[in-house]
Amino acid sequence: MADSFGFDAIGTRWRVDTSAPLARGERDGLLRLAEEYDALYSRFREDSGITALAVSGGFLALPGHGAALGRLLRTLHDLTGGGVSPLVGERLAAQGYDAEYSFVPTQEPAPARAWDGLLEWTADGVTLARPALLDVGAAGKGQLVDLMLAHLVAGGHEDAIVDASGDMRRTGAGSITVALEHPYDPTSAIGTVRLGSGALCASASNRRVWGDGLHHVLDGRTGRCVDTVVATWVLARDAMTADGLCTALFVADPADLAPVFDFDYVLMYSDGRARTSAALPGALFP
Amino acid sequence: MTPRTTDLPAAAIGRAPGALPRRVLTALAAVSILGAAGCAGAEAETPTVESPAAESPTAESPAAESQAASTPAETPAAAGAGDAAPDQSYEDGTYTETGTYQSPAGREEVGVTLTLEADVVTAVEVEPMPSNPTTETYQGRFAGGISDTIVGRKLDELSVDKVAGSSLTSGGFNEATDKIKSEARL
Repeated sequence: MADSFGFDAIGTRWRVDTSAPLARGERDGLLRLAEEYDALYSRFREDSGITALAVSGGFLALPGHGAALGRLLRTLHDLTGGGVSPLVGERLAAQGYDAEYSFVPTQEPAPARAWDGLLEWTADGVTLARPALLDVGAAGKGQLVDLMLAHLVAGGHEDAIVDASGDMRRTGAGSITVALEHPYDPTSAIGTVRLGSGALCASASNRRVWGDGLHHVLDGRTGRCVDTVVATWVLARDAMTADGLCTALFVADPADLAPVFDFDYVLMYSDGRARTSAALPGALFP
Repeated sequence: MTPRTTDLPAAAIGRAPGALPRRVLTALAAVSILGAAGCAGAEAETPTVESPAAESPTAESPAAESQAASTPAETPAAAGAGDAAPDQSYEDGTYTETGTYQSPAGREEVGVTLTLEADVVTAVEVEPMPSNPTTETYQGRFAGGISDTIVGRKLDELSVDKVAGSSLTSGGFNEATDKIKSEARL
C-alpha cells in the first residue's frame, strides 16, 4: 500500500491503507466521519445524542445510515430472542462499564428492558418513551468502518483497507491474509483467513475485563456476562453486519443467523476448541 | 462465586488493603489472557465488590497450593524474602489455576498456567479439561468443522498482512487502567 493513515477515534486505533495517495482533505473527511459518529452514539460523552436520550428520553434524529443500523440491531435482537439489544447499555453501565470507567458494579445483573414499548427505531431516528441508556457497540464500530470505506471509494480509491483494530473492510483486487489472534495469547494466532473485497470483524470477551466475570459482552436476556464462546470472527460483505454478527454469535448459534445473513465465521470456546463455517476462506492451525 | 483463574494474581498481590483496587488490579493483570476463561458471570450471584466470598479463595485452596509450581500463591509479595524489586506488584513465579464456568450444557473447566516475571506475563498455557458429552453435542449440533483444541502458532512465525483479535484495547480503557494501576499499586 502506498499510503497509510493512522489515528485514534471512538476510543480505538484506526489505520487506513490506500494504494493511491490519501489527500489531506480525505484524511480530514475520515476524521470528521468519526467525530460525527461519536457525537451521536458515544455513551462516554456528556454531549452525545445517546447521552441526551439517557437523560430525558424523547427523539434523536439520525442521519441516513442510522436507519440501517437500527434495522440490523432489530433483526439481531429478534433472531437472538433479545440477546442482542441496544438496551444493554444501561446494564453495561450498571456493571461498571460506565462513562467514568468506574469498573464498580452498582446493581445485580438484570435483563435489558424490553425493546417494544420503550424504543422505536424509525427511518429518521430513535424515539424513547422513557429515558434509557442505549449502546450501539454491537455493530456501531463496524458501521463506521463502512462509512469510511465508502468515503474513500467515493473519492476514487479502488484499493483500500480501513482497519479499526481488527474490525476491517477492504476493497480491491486479490486478497490479504489475516491472522486470527489467539484469545488467550496475543502473540499467537489460531489460524488465518483470506480477505478479498469485504469485511472481517473480531470480537473477544477478554477485550475489556474489569472484574470477576464482568466484561463488555452481556446477554440482553439475563444481563450477565457471556461464557462459553470467548472469541468470534465473522467475514461478511460489510463491516456493520460482520460486527453485529460477531456480537450475536456470543448469544446465538450460527445456524440461527444463517437463514438471514450470508457470512462465514470462526468461534472459539473457552475450553480451547474452535468451530468454523464449512466454507471459511482460511484454516485453523491443527 | 466459583473459584476462578483470575483470583490467583490477587493472592500474589497479597496485602492490598482495599478490596476494590485489589480485585480490579487482579483483573487487569490477567486482562488479555484469563478474563474470558474465568468469566463467572453466568453463575455469579452477587458480583459486588464487597462480596467476601469472592475475595481470594485461592489462598486457602488446596489446588492453588499444589499447583503453584515455583512460588506458593499464599506468600504475599510484600512479606516475601525480598527477592522482588521494591516497586513490584506481583511475586515472580509460575502459577496454575483451574477456572470453572457455566456453559449452556453445564459446568466446564479450563486450566491456565502463567509465568509472571517482574509484573509481566511471560508465558501462558491453556489446558482444556475433558468436556462433558453434553457440551460436545451442543457444540457439534450444526454443520461446520469443530477443531480439537487450538494451540496456535506464534505470530512472528507467520507471514500475514493483518491481525484480527482483541489485544488492541481501546484508548479510553487503557487510560483508565493506567489510572487504576497507579492507585492500586503496592
